[in-house]
Amino acid sequence: MKTTFVVPRLLLSARALDGVTRVTRERLLEIQTRFHEPESLAVTLVKSLDAGAAGVFGSPSPALRTALAELTRVVPVYAVLPALSPQDYRMLEPGVEPLIARARRDAGPAARLRMGVTGLLRLSVLRHGDFAARVPVLLEAGARLLPRRGVAGIVLPAPLTDAALAGEHRRFFETLPRFVRARFHAAAGLETRNPGLLLARLREWGVAPDFVLGPVNPRGLGMKPRPAETLAELARARGGPAGAGIPFLATELRAGGLCTLAEGAHYALEHGAHGLAPDLAEMDEVAVELRGVKTMLGDGT
Amino acid sequence: MSAMAGPAGGTEDRATPRAGVQRVAVVGLGRAGVAHCVMLSHVPGCELVAIVDPRGPARQALRGMGFGVPAFGRVERMLEKLRPDAVVVCTAQHERARVAEIVIGSGIPVLLERPMARTLEEAEALVRLAAARRVAFAVGHPLAFEPVFARVHELVHGGALGTVHHARSAMFVSRVFAPRPRRGPGRLDPRRVAGGVVAHLGSDLLFVLVRMLGAPAEVRAEQSLLYGAVEDELHAMMTLPGGAEVGFDCSWSVPGYVRASTVIELDGADGKLLASDEALEVDLHRPAAGFAAGYSRVHDADFPAPARFDFGGETLWSHDAAFLDWLAGGPAPPNEAGAALAAHRVMDALYRSAAAGGRPMQVAR
Repeated sequence: MKTTFVVPRLLLSARALDGVTRVTRERLLEIQTRFHEPESLAVTLVKSLDAGAAGVFGSPSPALRTALAELTRVVPVYAVLPALSPQDYRMLEPGVEPLIARARRDAGPAARLRMGVTGLLRLSVLRHGDFAARVPVLLEAGARLLPRRGVAGIVLPAPLTDAALAGEHRRFFETLPRFVRARFHAAAGLETRNPGLLLARLREWGVAPDFVLGPVNPRGLGMKPRPAETLAELARARGGPAGAGIPFLATELRAGGLCTLAEGAHYALEHGAHGLAPDLAEMDEVAVELRGVKTMLGDGT
Repeated sequence: MSAMAGPAGGTEDRATPRAGVQRVAVVGLGRAGVAHCVMLSHVPGCELVAIVDPRGPARQALRGMGFGVPAFGRVERMLEKLRPDAVVVCTAQHERARVAEIVIGSGIPVLLERPMARTLEEAEALVRLAAARRVAFAVGHPLAFEPVFARVHELVHGGALGTVHHARSAMFVSRVFAPRPRRGPGRLDPRRVAGGVVAHLGSDLLFVLVRMLGAPAEVRAEQSLLYGAVEDELHAMMTLPGGAEVGFDCSWSVPGYVRASTVIELDGADGKLLASDEALEVDLHRPAAGFAAGYSRVHDADFPAPARFDFGGETLWSHDAAFLDWLAGGPAPPNEAGAALAAHRVMDALYRSAAAGGRPMQVAR
């Protein structure tokens, strides 16, 4: 029986700390410098929760882990696994095997054992390279990076989601959410840079992860394949048959700085987004701006 | 139907009518080859029909992503079994000329990853062969399709800046901070690659500059070898036939550049321009090319974004779509091999100058 998870409507995205948010290089460096000290990130996390955010979305990087460890309060984390920077992806050969090899090198004996067991259950030795068999092993390797408390979701990063989307790997998308829910007791999310296309494929395949995150903004930036097609899929995801809709959390709300957060949030919600995940790099006064967005959601979440 | 860049600010498809589906094979499944597979799969009217790589794990990696196309270990075997409409060649640099020669020799159009060959002689031979066989041949230069830099090209060629008398350019990325080889034996062995940062990265900027300003007559270059036998940084000054100077800096060993960053600055008789991956800034003495006199700034997000797929960037989609449009009877793309060869000649001169300790070198004609 499928366990249902409550999908948040407002998350603080810390993806800028991972270097993937679409903002200028100067802004990215500024944010990374501002939150270099774990205390400053910890304070921002608490203020975000107080302002109405249901948790934080980002990879369990040393910066985020240290900040979370500073707090006695449990912060729900929607963790991006595997936790890799754009540079990591650029340096490694394509596919999942180089990522696993690197993760195995970095893992301790216990993590390696868990990777082995996860792999064995999926006969993954015989299915080298296959995302369906091998991504669970990779996620298992990343489990050691997760905080002890508060893991509310596991999100596959866009480079892996979009690679499998390009290959139309239906079985991978069918099996991954089941693995995440069973192993991590957390919601299974997919991050994408091709939101319209991903939603369309998931709908055609009848596959429903717990949520999808991707760019939606009034300028259409990043709304692949086309803004109109993405909006149509968003409407379908919201209005599909009972239980068939996929909650969509909108990111890149400010279109790289071309519009305000309020405009982006209003647009995304108006067009069917279930929730929002504004990024640290998209806000100057995080608590104030999140509070403003929270009022647009108009619910008690 | 395929799709290319639409008008500024728009995302409309511009189609070149097609007789049918274009069947494309990709040879070489490193990072670039996989990126082409992904993008080609989303160019309307294109079908990825085969992949080729001698390495089993590389073929396995693509299959593992879900691609179910026939896989081959050798290009000759693929050509025996299939006759694709085009082949994208992304093999290792020392293999490129041989593989491209086989495919062009079979009369099949080729899109070849940059640099097109390890040596200038090999590159020239390929261009001659393609011309003799009347086969469409282009080289991978996605920067030319980056909307900001495509617009800069239009501005310069439209005369908005007047005669350009000075230019500066740079391309930086944080990539190499350790001794090599990093991946596989001899990956950056000078006997197997055309060079270091310029061949791998800066040649894309070089292509944009040469196409925009023309080939320099003479170059002077200095290089730094920080970690191995090929250059990690190169600083050059290039002199155009009219006397204008073009600065060129390139490094893959600077911190703070998670994403590759490119900058071009131009000083012309009628204005100045600063273009980067993030924005285009112009300061014109008179209105031109849709810009008012004075200072204007256009954010990169204001430029058209015609790609139907984003895979760590979307420029490669426009690049591949333009090549396929050419094969379907559309205009030749900016990166057709003749233009790419001109940039390759400049790169060759830069390397000769750097090897000679910065002595001026003439660019081959």
